[in-house]
Amino acid sequence: MADSVLSPLGGRAAPPAPEATVQLIVFQLAGEDYGIRIEQVREVTITPEVARMPKTPAFIKGIVNLRGDIIAVIDLEERFGLVKTARPLPERSYTVAVEAADYTIGLAVREVPRPLRIPAAAIEAAPEFLQDSGQRERYLEGIAKLPDGSVIIVLDMRKLLTATEILRLPN
Amino acid sequence: MTAREQEYRELFMAEALEYYESMSRHLSELERTPDDVPALNELFRLMHNLKSNARAMGHTAIGEVAHSLETVFGLIRDRERAFAGPLVAVVFTGLDELGAMIRAVGADQPLPDAAALLDNLARVARGDEPVLPAPAPADAEAPAEEDARKLELSDLVYIQVRKLDKLLNLVGELVIDRDRILTLAEEIGHPALQATARHLFRISDDLQYSVMDVRLVGVGVLLNKFPRVVRDVATAEGKEVELSLGGQDVQIDRNVLQIMTDALLHLVRNGVSHGLEAPAEREAAGKPRVGQLRLLALTERDDVLIEVADDGPGIDTEAVRRKAVERGLATAELAATLDEQAVWAFLFEPGFSTAAQVTDISGRGVGLDVVKRALDSLGGQLRIASVLGQGTSFTLVLPTSIAVKGALLVELDGRPYAVPLLHTDTVLALRPDEFSVVGGLLLAHVQGQAVPVVPLRELLHAEGTEALPAADKTLLQGPQQVLVVNYNHRRLGLLVDQFLRQQNIVVKALSKPLDAIDLFGGVTLLGSGQVCLVLDVPALTRLFVARRA
Repeated sequence: MADSVLSPLGGRAAPPAPEATVQLIVFQLAGEDYGIRIEQVREVTITPEVARMPKTPAFIKGIVNLRGDIIAVIDLEERFGLVKTARPLPERSYTVAVEAADYTIGLAVREVPRPLRIPAAAIEAAPEFLQDSGQRERYLEGIAKLPDGSVIIVLDMRKLLTATEILRLPN
Repeated sequence: MTAREQEYRELFMAEALEYYESMSRHLSELERTPDDVPALNELFRLMHNLKSNARAMGHTAIGEVAHSLETVFGLIRDRERAFAGPLVAVVFTGLDELGAMIRAVGADQPLPDAAALLDNLARVARGDEPVLPAPAPADAEAPAEEDARKLELSDLVYIQVRKLDKLLNLVGELVIDRDRILTLAEEIGHPALQATARHLFRISDDLQYSVMDVRLVGVGVLLNKFPRVVRDVATAEGKEVELSLGGQDVQIDRNVLQIMTDALLHLVRNGVSHGLEAPAEREAAGKPRVGQLRLLALTERDDVLIEVADDGPGIDTEAVRRKAVERGLATAELAATLDEQAVWAFLFEPGFSTAAQVTDISGRGVGLDVVKRALDSLGGQLRIASVLGQGTSFTLVLPTSIAVKGALLVELDGRPYAVPLLHTDTVLALRPDEFSVVGGLLLAHVQGQAVPVVPLRELLHAEGTEALPAADKTLLQGPQQVLVVNYNHRRLGLLVDQFLRQQNIVVKALSKPLDAIDLFGGVTLLGSGQVCLVLDVPALTRLFVARRA
């Protein structure tokens, strides 16, 4: 039910109940706020020791041991081309472990991620033209406008985490 | 009674009781709807299986009763007798008595006498009136024998392999954490903690081996399928083949066997269709008409060997050598220097085996790369022996279990990498002047053989499809650590920063999307908690061959 209500295009077919809310994990990439639905997030942790993995693009920072699971950690700023050159992760970073259909992957972020509950209606579908334009926009679910005027870019991890997409190089 | 005999008896008991219970259920269904064909077919099938099992185990009395009941079910199925009247009572009594006999076997007691029952079964089979005891048939259906008929649960549990896989994975995780705890306990130096950690070590070791043991099956479960395969291929090809099987009791991990199933099927089919000559051809060569094919399993240290041997024409080494040059797998100069083992290894190259004419020349070749791929995925090895005119044998060297692998840990750029021992040959420390450069290739001389050497760093970081940079001896500073690996009779030296140690590792598969990178066979966690990539020697060797300068 949540899916149909929150589908960005499903506004008229299934009007959201007034109290419907969405919980996001919000983090910063290149100074902007990004959010992922909490049900797509497995856990948030301080990034464990990262082992660089040869034969992988630079935005894949390496692999880490997350409670016995070995998962890849990627830098979304590099993946989305928000920074010009690849650089190592800072001494302390945080990993948002997100779940795809059959694997888990870690998103390394530099500031502490925080949970946030917003009304489902606050998420607006990204304009069509945006979805075709760039790296980042390809994976948008929509844009959440908060009462204080700030915006959160809500990512749809299911679009990003197909195996071919995740390994794609930034343009 | 040996442990093996005991195990077989338990297996027989478990199956027999299960058959008995299924048959009781189906018989009740048949009584409600006498024309229930599926129930009747199932009864016939189960009774037949029970008969075969009982006879194989030497329980002839059970076999007799089962045989007579099977006959009666057959007559009912063929509509020569109806499941009605006194026949029903006789069949029910028969099944009850069969149950009592099975239980007697389990309890090691003398089997009840079944003469009267067999007589009655023979009577109903002939269509005669059975001799029923004093109570009327109606009473026979009542629970008259309540005390005798106990409800019993089997001593054995059927379990899905998937659940065993999960258990093995969990044990793998436990072992990794155990090593971590042991390391931490040593670091902290608390005596009680250290003692507990050592105890944990022993218990988890036991647990690991118990779980590995549960997964073992006899190689026979696979080998016993081959008489039929051989018969079919031989018939289709007009060959006469005698297949001998051996070592069915050798124990191996069920999944290892599963992975090798197709490979073994290929080897056996090949053995019949290409490894053995037609009867006339054999007679012309002074051999017996009937070709011999042997499938033999045996254990060697921690490994299981499965041998497929024929007494056919053997491998024509020179034909294979010529073909390898034609196929571009080796230059004419290189091919001329190779010994026969190295030449035979070409048979298992993907490019080699698909050509139909190769099969005609060498007598070998269709789909043999399948065998190599399956072996590679397990870290197994292949041995070939062949004498022209006398025969060929292929031996698969398989790990007993897939859980634990011996590995050599090496360090490169401050990170550990594990190399499975199955593929390591030797380690060397060489001075720069002990290397030579030939044609842009760095060579080391190992036991009188020139072995190409490449910095592991270059292999791991080679981008795109460009050739590796030409070797430059002047870049070598100080003593060099060389790990010589061996794959498919090819040796390759890898330059690493240092050797760390040898240890048993639990290999975890890389998760998506990183599993697409084939240079790594997986990953393991060290006692320090460090993530350690496991190098895939076959893939490294292939990369080197494809990219060498």
